[in-house]
Amino acid sequence: MAGVTPLYDAIWEDYMLWSLLVGAIAFGWLYHHSFFYRSEDGESPNVDNLEVGVFPKDYDNLKLEVTWTVLPFILIVWLTYISWAPLDAVWSQTGPDGYHGSECQEGESSNNYIDSDGYVRSECYWEVGIVGQQWFWNFDCMGLSEDICSTDFAGGIPHLNLTTGETYFAILSSNDVTHAVKNPGFGMMEDVVPGQETYLWMPAVEDMSFLMLCAEYCGDNHAYMTAQVNVNS
Amino acid sequence: MGSKASVMSRRLVVFAVLAFAMVIVPVVTSVPSGIDHSLVKNGCNCHDGGGPSDSVTASIEGVPESYNGSESYTLTVSFTGGPGTEGNENVGGFNLWTSGGTFASLDSSTQLKNPNDITHTLEGNNQRSWTLEWTAPADNESDVDFMLHVNSVNGDGAASSADKWNRAEVTSFGIGDPPLEPADPFKVLATLIVVSAVLLSIVVLYVFYRNNPEGFEWQRFAPWITEWLTSTDHKKIGTLYFVQGLFFLGVGGIMALMMRVQLASPGNEFISQDYYNQFFTLHGTTMIFLAAMPLIAGFANWIVPLQIGAPDLAFPRLNALSFWLQPVAALLIFTGVFSGAGADTGWTGYAPYVVTENTHAGVSMWAAGQIMLVASSTLTGINFLTTMAVMRAPGMGWFQMPLFTWSILVANLMLFLSIPAFGVGLIQVYLDRTIATAFYDVSSGGDPLLWSHLFWYFGHPEVYVVIVPAFGVISEVIATSARRSIFGYKSMVYAMAGIGLVSFIVYGHHMFTSGMSPALRFITMLTTMLVAVPTGIKIFNWLKTMHGGSLVYRTHTLWTLGFLVTFTLGGISGMFFPSMALDVHLHETYFVVAHFHYVLVGGTVFGFFAAIYYWYPKMTGRMLDERLGVLHFLTAFISYNALFWPMHRLGVVGMIRRTHTYYITTDDFQALPEWAADWNMLISVSAFLFFASNLLLVVNMIKSLIRGEKAPADPWGGWSFEWMTSSPPPTPSFDPHNLPELKDANEHVANEPSRLGQMFRRLMVDDDASEGGSH
Repeated sequence: MAGVTPLYDAIWEDYMLWSLLVGAIAFGWLYHHSFFYRSEDGESPNVDNLEVGVFPKDYDNLKLEVTWTVLPFILIVWLTYISWAPLDAVWSQTGPDGYHGSECQEGESSNNYIDSDGYVRSECYWEVGIVGQQWFWNFDCMGLSEDICSTDFAGGIPHLNLTTGETYFAILSSNDVTHAVKNPGFGMMEDVVPGQETYLWMPAVEDMSFLMLCAEYCGDNHAYMTAQVNVNS
Repeated sequence: MGSKASVMSRRLVVFAVLAFAMVIVPVVTSVPSGIDHSLVKNGCNCHDGGGPSDSVTASIEGVPESYNGSESYTLTVSFTGGPGTEGNENVGGFNLWTSGGTFASLDSSTQLKNPNDITHTLEGNNQRSWTLEWTAPADNESDVDFMLHVNSVNGDGAASSADKWNRAEVTSFGIGDPPLEPADPFKVLATLIVVSAVLLSIVVLYVFYRNNPEGFEWQRFAPWITEWLTSTDHKKIGTLYFVQGLFFLGVGGIMALMMRVQLASPGNEFISQDYYNQFFTLHGTTMIFLAAMPLIAGFANWIVPLQIGAPDLAFPRLNALSFWLQPVAALLIFTGVFSGAGADTGWTGYAPYVVTENTHAGVSMWAAGQIMLVASSTLTGINFLTTMAVMRAPGMGWFQMPLFTWSILVANLMLFLSIPAFGVGLIQVYLDRTIATAFYDVSSGGDPLLWSHLFWYFGHPEVYVVIVPAFGVISEVIATSARRSIFGYKSMVYAMAGIGLVSFIVYGHHMFTSGMSPALRFITMLTTMLVAVPTGIKIFNWLKTMHGGSLVYRTHTLWTLGFLVTFTLGGISGMFFPSMALDVHLHETYFVVAHFHYVLVGGTVFGFFAAIYYWYPKMTGRMLDERLGVLHFLTAFISYNALFWPMHRLGVVGMIRRTHTYYITTDDFQALPEWAADWNMLISVSAFLFFASNLLLVVNMIKSLIRGEKAPADPWGGWSFEWMTSSPPPTPSFDPHNLPELKDANEHVANEPSRLGQMFRRLMVDDDASEGGSH
């Protein structure tokens, strides 16, 4: 199924593979036993001699029980392991150790690209501001030049125009209640919490134009709290 | 005596004054309307990075001292001073923001940034004054603030410290409360007569009551209902819970149907967002607190004392109180809906929205009702834990309790440890809303994340509280149907306890996107994945129980197999959320909706449908119609999957929750693909089919109650004590002087102390030896 970022696609495929495997084992087992061990005549040979008022005889097998404790445990450790690196990428720190370097100086460019593991890497990033308010978004280009970032208001909703190849670090704040920036195009979301700043990476890798939504319920017109994000070369 | 009385009355006066002061003080010191627009105040995105300059004076003209609703006003904003002089290429600019109403541009010198935010254009930056139009908000009760920033520039085209800026604020007052209408004298008279009549009748009734108190007993004037209103019998209260649960399952379902009609096509206007928002809030609250919990409490009330061989619960009157808090709470929760202003916060009620003025008035009632439910659940917890601890029949150790009883124990322990946090949060919300305290008011230093923590510390264990009893039901039904002992009884108990334990350390995954620290994100990711281990043990144990058995197909067997399918699917989809790269896509989308309906409907509801078919003969003494039951299962199972499975895909392509409409891709921008509308239609149709299929269960229950075949004591061949008594059981359920005694097919094992017990025995000095030593 089509995802949005290569990072998402890679992890999605791993998870789907394991899901199908676990599903096949569980449902195959269930399917077989449901038919193979059904009572033939509708009557019931009382296999373990269940009797009212008598605690039934033990039916267990320590080796089996340990097996299906340990195997799922190993599987979840593996799933956690493969999800660990994306954790760093999704909320990468700023500075030389991060995926997107330090803040760009005037004249520089992020020159972002997708590396062989599916992570977006950039030389530097631009800071922009997003402010949530009932029920619209305010964009702030923080004095960046027009060809890096610009905003306008058209068709009843605010627009944020970004440039392909540049990486943006959005500083999120709220004027009233909790909102959340849902950026399906960048495959990211982050809450916008009043009284606190939160951050969101927006690596503009390819040309696109998508609808940004509010994903934390914020009152009557929550569904109309939209904005358009345009990424153009 | 006299002095004592006067001390008492003085104390009362002091208390009254204190109480009054406590109510009044927060109102006068804090700002209930809250939030100031700090971002706009801090910054002017002006050419000079420094602070405001006194050399520039900003002014707004045309703002009325008090405005009329919806009226348009022409405003003039201007500045004097600073380097901007006529003749420069650029002179200056402005930005005007308002807290209410909308602006409109009158000429090409101004442009809208947002409906409430207007600024100059490139063309307009060689002016010192601009004219624009402001339309006041329709509701003219609240005050409107204007914030103007102006910039005076020297015209060299570059931003420098030679450019100066300043700001000005103006407030236009609303008219406050609308003027009072003159009273209608007839209404005043009528009110007086009614009030007097009520007071008079109370006095008269009281006189009669003092003369003959017995004349006022329920028995005297409503004998047919007395039994139900005053009973403390666990079976009667169980039935009351059960009926309440089913009733609200229907109510919650109807609200869901309304929402599905609204979502059947994009941009639908069937119910306004007002009603949609109320319905999704109350659908969640109703289904969790007024349907699932009472259904569980109903079966727990009925079955737990029977399974452990107890005559009743430990505190029967407390049990009645627990139940009777429920309908009252339900009434409070729904109060708002009756007036068109029900709670519109989502069942999670995130702060600070839940305490703002924009919410519907019903939110206060919604919080109050839930506080009562917290009390009810806490009392239920105390009651069941005590009953299981002290009232087990002779011969029944902890590890001989039937698994349904174990599941109720684990669920109540979780509930008992988590629900106080929710109670505290609700009380804070209630106080914030009613007497203007500031727990969640950000502008007064409140912390919105505190609510998220309190809520999810309760909320996550809560979802396990509603699923674990279903595990208990499935364990009972699958063992009885397969004519086998449950496989790995002890590991089943440990797995439930493990789920209970883990439930307290995973709630952070609900707050992954709330600005949590990376280290905590990683820890929560791991703990959340851990839930899969005990859940996996349970699923494999159930499957292994069927191995070598002789599965008798009854309706409850079908529901149990259905549960295994849907719950496993729900469990697998749950594994996608702890992984970050997936979670940031799927958070707050329909993938989440699909997941939790797979575990809560496919888990809890299917589990309890199995319980209904399994225990209904015990509860009523009548067998249910198997053919109707099979029809119910087949129609419900198919329509259920058609209803919730497509939601996974809608979530993956980005359809978000809690919105009354959704957007389809157009030429201008990308949103949901076109087929999303068709899939939503499919979901809506399936929703109606699923609802209709469950009416078969209601029909079946009513029909069987009237004309059902008589049920024997043990229709399915189960082993636990409830199958020992007649169907329906007598009251008290077991003779307190002649309790049943549990035998054990593994006699040798039952009487041996466990390994832990043996270790303690070695550590302890036995009684005789210690007495010897003290001499």
